[in-house]
Amino acid sequence: MAILQELASFTGPDWEQVGAVTLPVIERLHQAEAKMAEKWERLAEFTIANAPGNERRAMQQVVNYLRGLPISTSLFERIKTAVAETTMNAMEHGNEYSTENPVELQVLTSEDSVMIRVTDHGGGKSLPEYVQPDIEAKLEGLQSPRGWGLFLVQSMVDELRVQTDQTHRIVELIFRLEG
Amino acid sequence: MAKTQPFSAQVRQTGKAVTIDLHGEVDSFASDRLHEAYAEVEQFNPPVILLDFSDVSYINSTGIALIVGLLAQARKLQRKVYVYGLSDHFITIFQITRLAEFMSIYPNEDSALADAAAFG
Repeated sequence: MAILQELASFTGPDWEQVGAVTLPVIERLHQAEAKMAEKWERLAEFTIANAPGNERRAMQQVVNYLRGLPISTSLFERIKTAVAETTMNAMEHGNEYSTENPVELQVLTSEDSVMIRVTDHGGGKSLPEYVQPDIEAKLEGLQSPRGWGLFLVQSMVDELRVQTDQTHRIVELIFRLEG
Repeated sequence: MAKTQPFSAQVRQTGKAVTIDLHGEVDSFASDRLHEAYAEVEQFNPPVILLDFSDVSYINSTGIALIVGLLAQARKLQRKVYVYGLSDHFITIFQITRLAEFMSIYPNEDSALADAAAFG
């Protein structure tokens, strides 16, 4: 409402609209959020070529970079599954197995968390509609046996963030360190 | 390059059950061999199929889809599917996907075979 009041005071009472009015809205990060964003330290970044099976390379490289951090076996397994599934999705749906534009991965840490950022070139593309997997429907042949990827990722992470622009899609997998 | 373990599977009859010993990585590359193995199992017409995951190092969403497909085929013929040798992480995956509600999970082959012997 405030922006409309500002527009009214700018134009005055006798204005005539001759075309569409575009009201750009600039959102400022809350100061606390900005502070949080600054806390991430980049540990490593690398790229993975788009090819079936290469998600295992991504998974293994992330594990190698995270060695030495206080991460339990079970958390490592969750990270591995989430990274592999997200990378598979990026190669298949985001990059469509292009020979150019590899999947980009960044490994970041903060005081109490680990973030894996996976970037593909799927920005601006429509992605397959997400269907919540239903095991009964799958066993009855009413739903494809596939479609577990995003469900697995959501089940493995503590927080999942997705950003897109016209070129890129960025998925951030966030895991809280235990203890 | 991450060390990979190509998928392989062996079929063996064990009493009333037929066991598929799975080895390596259960992903899209496992599809052909797993379908072949299931076809071999069908020749025995067993009431119970055991899946041995003791030597499985990796399973992804495509691998889960393969297991769902196998389970669906078995259920059409009223066959039970038991699983053993799952790591803690694989047990978690079987629980969150709810596969564990449709396949009995055992810690080892002996316990799975004991239940298979009592079935049917």
